[in-house]
Formats: sequence, C-alpha cells, structure tokens
Amino acid sequence: MGLLTNILLSPFLGPVWASKWTLDKVDRVVREELTDDTPIKEDLMKLQMELEMGEIDDAEYVKREAEIMRRLREVREWREKYGMSIGGGPVRVAGGNETE
Amino acid sequence: MTAESAAAAATEPAPSEGKYVYCIIRHDRSREFGEIGIGSGARVYTVNHNDLAAVVSDTPIVIYDPTRENVLAHEFVNETVMREFTLIPMSFGTVFRSEQDVQTLLKSTYQAFTDVLDKMQDKIEFGLKILWDRDKVVAAIERENDEIRRLKDEITRNAASSTYFARMQLGRLVEAAMEEASNRYVTDIHEQLKDVSVASRSNKVIGDRMILNAAFLVDRKDEKPFDEKVKAISLQYEDLLTFKYTGPWPPYNFVNIKLKLEKAT
Repeated sequence: MGLLTNILLSPFLGPVWASKWTLDKVDRVVREELTDDTPIKEDLMKLQMELEMGEIDDAEYVKREAEIMRRLREVREWREKYGMSIGGGPVRVAGGNETE
Repeated sequence: MTAESAAAAATEPAPSEGKYVYCIIRHDRSREFGEIGIGSGARVYTVNHNDLAAVVSDTPIVIYDPTRENVLAHEFVNETVMREFTLIPMSFGTVFRSEQDVQTLLKSTYQAFTDVLDKMQDKIEFGLKILWDRDKVVAAIERENDEIRRLKDEITRNAASSTYFARMQLGRLVEAAMEEASNRYVTDIHEQLKDVSVASRSNKVIGDRMILNAAFLVDRKDEKPFDEKVKAISLQYEDLLTFKYTGPWPPYNFVNIKLKLEKAT
C-alpha cells in the first residue's frame, strides 16, 4: 500500500489547515481502497474460470485461492475497523430481537 | 466483546452454536436433509414458522471464506433441497446466532418470502457463459469482410513500405468488426432462447475472452426444450465459441429480497 506509506512517513509540512484538508481527502481514498473487495471477488471469479477452462491445474488453483482469501480477510478487517458492514458472519433481523 | 459477555451473563447463557442458513422453502413440518452441511458434513434440517421453513445446519459463529470447498458445500445443500422444493437461496455465509433469530427472520419477512416463493414456483435457473476464440473470430471476420481482407493483403504484400497508418486502420476495423460480431452472436443467442425461458439476466463478463455471462430463468416443464436449444446453438457456433452451460440452479439471479439484517455481536 504505497500511498499509505507515503502519507505515514512524509514529513509534516505546511500550515495545519492545509495538511488537515489533504489528510481528510487522502484518508477517504485510502479507506475506499482498503475496504473495497470488488476487485478481489473479480479475481476469484477469473481464477475459477481458468480452472474450469483447464488453463490451470488444481494445485495452482489452491495456491492462488489461498492468496485471494488472505486479501479478502484483510479487506474484512479494514471494514470492521472502519465500522462498515461485512459479508458473512453472524447477523440478525435489524431491530427484530427486541420487539419479539 | 466485554459488553456482550456481560449482557449475556445477565440474562441467559449465550448459545455456543449458530445456524447457517442455506435457503427458505415452503414446508409446514420439520424435515431432515442428511449430513451434508458446510463444515465437514453438518446435519441439515429445518427451522419452521407456519408454512415456511429455513434450511439450516449448526455452525460455530464464524465468517466463512468463499473457498471452493465452502461454496460447493453451500450449493450442494441447495441442489439437494431443490430436487423437492422451490427455494429462495440465501447469500453464501449467512449465519444467525440462534434458532430464535432464524424464526424472527421467517416471521418478519413472511410476506416477502411467500410472494417470491409463489413467483418462483417450479422455476429453475441455468447459467450460460460464452467465450470466444479471438483468432478464430478474426479469421472468420477476414473471410467475411472484404475491406479488412483487402487491407490486410496489402499490408502483408508491402510489409516493408506499409505505413503505420494502414496498420492502425486495420486494427480499428478489426476491433469494430469484432464488437459487431459479439453483439450479433449475443443477440441471436438471446433471441433463440427467448421462447424456452421466462427471463434472462446478463452479468458482467469475466476476463477478456468472455462475450456473454447470462442467467436464464426456466420453467421446470421447459427444462428439456431449453437444454436442447442450448445444445443446438452450441453446435451452430461450434467453430467460433465455447459454451459453459451450468444448472439447474436455484434462482440465484432472479430473487432480490433486501433483508434488513444487521451484524449480531
């Protein structure tokens, strides 16, 4: 995550208000990048297609699937950190439990 | 975490097991589907509310990764249930904390589930992905398109002197012709399948060889005619296109109930 590293390591320059604005904006971009699992899911579908088409063997599939799962878990962790919804995990009907 | 344990201790012991929900069916008594559930063959059974039933298995409260193994387990249960029932599939990985939470789902969404089950009665889904072989399609285009053929011959004959511009123009013509061909194939295939299906939905294509990624909703009684039609079309395009035909599936692409679910902590 090159962008994030740059931001974290860059020296503190300029007036405070300017930095604040930049950080807000960058934070938004970084957050979107960290919490978007669409490209990962697309990779997973591509991988499945490759297996179906016989372009890769089972061992290759398993290896790359593990890597994709690792990336998915990473996104999930970021989403949790930002308090965003995640696919999977325990759910209940919204507001349903108390109104029984 | 701490708040949760405190709250649980104050009322009743927190249930250690959750319920993984596969699908919703119409059935007014309990039913077993065997030890085929996600997580090394858990027992699959129903949680009932009036004439609705959720098909579930016990699970620890975890987030399931969409690995092939897990997704296949989820699909296998739905396929098994589908042999006898019309079903509304749940999204992969849906876990409720308790049987009571599942009943709350059935109760609060009763009307929507009932309506969709009526609509989906005896309907099944087929998936059709179509990939093309670029080289073969280009060859076919060169055969059919005089302008492209002439330009290409010219470039090949005068390889040394042919201009960058001529090559660019050829490239553009081929691209346009390919897009036109792709649209023509897809339209033709949709047209041919219209009479044997109830509805269709095109999803985003995967990778750069795919020209169609569609789902078709088919009446059970039309399963055979649909099947035969797909086979006939794939023969018709045998030299150009590869067909990936799957199903029958539960109507994954045609059920869209927005469940008001929240994270249970």
